[in-house]
Amino acid sequence: MADYLQVANEFGLWLIALVVVSICVIQAILYYRQCMKAGKEIGLTEDQLKEGFWVGAKTAIGPAAAIFIIMVGLMTVIGGPMAWMRLAVIGAAPTELTAARLGAEGYGVAFGGEGYGIEAMAVSWWTMIINGIGWLVLVGLIGDKLEPVREKLAGGQASWLPVLSGSAMIGVFGYLIGGDVLTLEGPMYAVIFGAISMIILIKIAEKTSETFKPYCLGIAMIVGMIFAILLG
Amino acid sequence: MNNMNAEERWNEVYLKPVKKVGMITLLVAAGLTLTPLLYLYVAHGVVPPFDAAMRSWGLVAAAFGAFYIVEPVSYYAILGLAGTYMSFLSGNISNLRLPCAAMAQEVVGVTEGSQEGEIIATMGISASVIVNIIAVTLAAFVGMAVIGILPEVIVDGFRDYTAPAIFGAVYGQFSLRYLHLAPIGIGIALLFIGVFQAPAWLSILFCVFGTMGIARLMFNKDILGGE
Repeated sequence: MADYLQVANEFGLWLIALVVVSICVIQAILYYRQCMKAGKEIGLTEDQLKEGFWVGAKTAIGPAAAIFIIMVGLMTVIGGPMAWMRLAVIGAAPTELTAARLGAEGYGVAFGGEGYGIEAMAVSWWTMIINGIGWLVLVGLIGDKLEPVREKLAGGQASWLPVLSGSAMIGVFGYLIGGDVLTLEGPMYAVIFGAISMIILIKIAEKTSETFKPYCLGIAMIVGMIFAILLG
Repeated sequence: MNNMNAEERWNEVYLKPVKKVGMITLLVAAGLTLTPLLYLYVAHGVVPPFDAAMRSWGLVAAAFGAFYIVEPVSYYAILGLAGTYMSFLSGNISNLRLPCAAMAQEVVGVTEGSQEGEIIATMGISASVIVNIIAVTLAAFVGMAVIGILPEVIVDGFRDYTAPAIFGAVYGQFSLRYLHLAPIGIGIALLFIGVFQAPAWLSILFCVFGTMGIARLMFNKDILGGE
């Protein structure tokens, strides 16, 4: 295992990850209790409230299982503790991988390539963390003021907002795959076959069952990887 | 008059305590997420170099800055106040929190946007947080063991190709929804990175805002194709 990955998997980091993950659990428990109280105040029954909870739990099982594969992938790249921490908080592997890679670029090396050592990894971590803080601080500070902001942003056309975020996504990921495609090697095949299999899988999910959708990303990731290993 | 009391009551019993918990947990978490860097310094004496750190912050802000605002604003109406705080702490919003909120509301039989709806959505989301944390924790420990026994070529494959495969998959996913934009994103990227050999920050800015700008033009002319 590379030097920096050994550091990334050290015990102290597992402990830190544990603390961060606990905050999520504590928050969920606090909101559970607040909602039980507030719900009864506005006329909901205890049974209804508990039902809401258990339906949520059951609906979560599929998507949560799908995350397992992605976790394995992420852990080989950024180490166990960081993957655990970042997927419990923020929770989006594509975002974390993007930030980690941009960290490497800011440092001046290829992500995971030559010259990527502990210092480069520190920059990757910094980038992931400061990116996550963007959402945490913004929502933490203005969470309760979002409605008027939404009206301003939509500018009277509510349908523009999803297009705005969709196009920004295409922009960001276009940049990322651009770099990978230009390598003309393994990464290019990973991109191509990752994209093709994702498209096929989503189409299948739409024709058969919506519950299949959360698994698409994990499976597409594996397919992309396999072709990259074979052809790269 | 009854209405005023009910609104004040809702504020007292739900909005105010929810905001308090939300603000504290999110800001504390923001601080705590920095501790890995502290660990690297204390245990290994390594600190990210300042100029590299600022450069990469700029890159990542160019990539995701818009989302810090657009995402909370887009999802707020469905998630509600507590749901928003929880979902932005724990993530996985569109594939996990939204479906759990919606299903909980549907099964219990409350309307979204109502107070009952918001409470039930929150119950569903808090359940999803617990379930997901269990899954992620299991994956962290079982997954590490699995990685330990996989052949090296596979582990290397994971390490080298997880990122591009995921990036390609996400690109494919959004291309389906916005067919006309698909060539634009990668087109601008190939132009700036491959042909102009532009610095990263310039390429990102053009990719993100270029695609958004073209999307706006297409949106105004109603020609955004896809699903």
